Amino acid sequence: MKKIILFFLAISSFISCDKEEVYTAVPNYIDLQVPSNFPDLEYDLSKNPLTNEGVALGKKLFYEGRLASDNIIACGFCHEQASAFTHHGHTVSHGVDGATGFRNTQPIQNLAFFTEFTWDGAAIHLDLQPIIPITSEVEMNETIPSVLAKLSSYTEYEQLFTNAFGDAEVTSERMLKALSQFMVTMISGNSKYDKVVRNEENATFTTAESEGLEIFDNKCATCHSGALFTDKTYRNNGVPYNTKFPEEEGRKRVSGYESDFYKFRVPSLRNVALSFPYMHDGRFGTLEDVLNFYTDGMTENGGIVDPLLVKNDGSLGIDLTSDEKTALIAFLNTLTDNTFLNDERFAEY
Amino acid sequence: MKITKYLIASFIALSITACSSEDEEIITGEGKVTLEFDNSYLTSDLLLSTASYSANESEEIKISDVKYIVSNIRLENEEGEIFTYPKEDSYFIVSETDTDSQFISLSNIPAADYTKITFGIGVDQEKYLEGATGQGDFLTLAQDAGMMWSWQAGYKFFVFEGLYTSDVTTTETAFAFHMGSHGSSVDNYKEVTLSLTNSARVRTTSTPEIHVVADLANILSGTTTFLLDDAAQIHVDAVKSPQIATNVNGMFVVDHVHN
Repeated sequence: MKKIILFFLAISSFISCDKEEVYTAVPNYIDLQVPSNFPDLEYDLSKNPLTNEGVALGKKLFYEGRLASDNIIACGFCHEQASAFTHHGHTVSHGVDGATGFRNTQPIQNLAFFTEFTWDGAAIHLDLQPIIPITSEVEMNETIPSVLAKLSSYTEYEQLFTNAFGDAEVTSERMLKALSQFMVTMISGNSKYDKVVRNEENATFTTAESEGLEIFDNKCATCHSGALFTDKTYRNNGVPYNTKFPEEEGRKRVSGYESDFYKFRVPSLRNVALSFPYMHDGRFGTLEDVLNFYTDGMTENGGIVDPLLVKNDGSLGIDLTSDEKTALIAFLNTLTDNTFLNDERFAEY
Repeated sequence: MKITKYLIASFIALSITACSSEDEEIITGEGKVTLEFDNSYLTSDLLLSTASYSANESEEIKISDVKYIVSNIRLENEEGEIFTYPKEDSYFIVSETDTDSQFISLSNIPAADYTKITFGIGVDQEKYLEGATGQGDFLTLAQDAGMMWSWQAGYKFFVFEGLYTSDVTTTETAFAFHMGSHGSSVDNYKEVTLSLTNSARVRTTSTPEIHVVADLANILSGTTTFLLDDAAQIHVDAVKSPQIATNVNGMFVVDHVHN
């Protein structure tokens, strides 16, 4: 009797094996958790729905050195999690064969809430942004077709693309969508500041932090506005012209407008305590340096310094006492999101 | 009996005649169209690198590279009805060094007599904003063809390169015009509508070829005149790039249509 049952079991398992041949992977859709104090998403998830498998592929690609011509320099090379996904200790970023660019690495966080990217707005869709670092000679120095050919030749990617997109075909659309899926999930909204704003965990500001917030609201929040701490505009903040990088023109490089010379994207201040060095060329090592620049270091730089930074007497700068600077830095430290900085979902290993 | 036979025979004959004349009036089904992009310099065929052409004032140019993106093709028939070629398939790169690229074959075109053609040069903002979905494999094609910038995530709509000399510039000096949109600041995508010299009769059985001539002399001497001695390298310029875009759009004429 047992033998007969086993026999039937064996037959039925053969039958089910036959069916397995037409089995196609069904990705698991996931919801994006957006902090309640955040604005609406700008990224259109309907064109690229998040799946566990898509995000996993995106993470693999983010840390994949083979996206670069030397097969070493991955996205994660310049975007290190512990430094809020910036290049720790580097003024300007390094690429393949020791090449250097002329811009400081920007953090990767909350990108799903933006429509334009990089210091000058050179990408107008998150999906298209990775094309710049991949193809730039001073970054990963590759071409998209060559990257696709490389990825196609590795069996590990057959499974990852199949899991995420139903079959093993490696296309630019799929690669870029997977990278976006991973980046879209990289939301930093769990700092002390957020907890205070959302009345979570009985979080409260210290006296210094409260004072800092008040100064911030009065003197900084016009540009560094809202939950993202940027109004997403391009502004010339009177940063002295850097003769080391004569090719640097700021936003003018993208727009071609003379009036955009040395205008840069107002950066988000989330995790700012860890994203040093600061400014488009990483010239300032500390937040104190930055605040000292705003009180005493601003100057004409060949462009039109933002009128918001021109005082009534015509001089440039923001008035801050040294006590106010101390309080401001105390407040800026509340924007550090240790949950995000230690989130294993984003970690290379 | 004989009369009946004749009657039947003549009925059959009549009905056959009637049928065949109706076949000519009612145009149904779908066919194909070929667009040929034929680059010229004034009235001569364009020759790369070897031929010298007179531009403005004393400037003489040798053109080494001409490439452009043709997109969003639409055809208008005699009744004014417009057929829009499917957007996702409607992006092409025409390169002077690649003869195949100069013949764009469009299929599944409703049979009709078409009298006008519209196309864009470059990539519209709508397509950019679709992200990876909208680019499909065109991204890869464009990069292979050198039609993408590496410092911004965007396409070069038009590439025009070569060497020039003038009374002032006596040794051969490189020039290059690269035109595209400037992020979200300047949209240089422009469309051109051309009347066909004779209508393109698309049928299931016949594929007309619309022969478009692009006169590259219009780039330096179109609506705006460009002197290479003033600026031999124009890549991203909020004033000049849109002027180049206008000159590019003005260089096309339909020379003739083969039916």
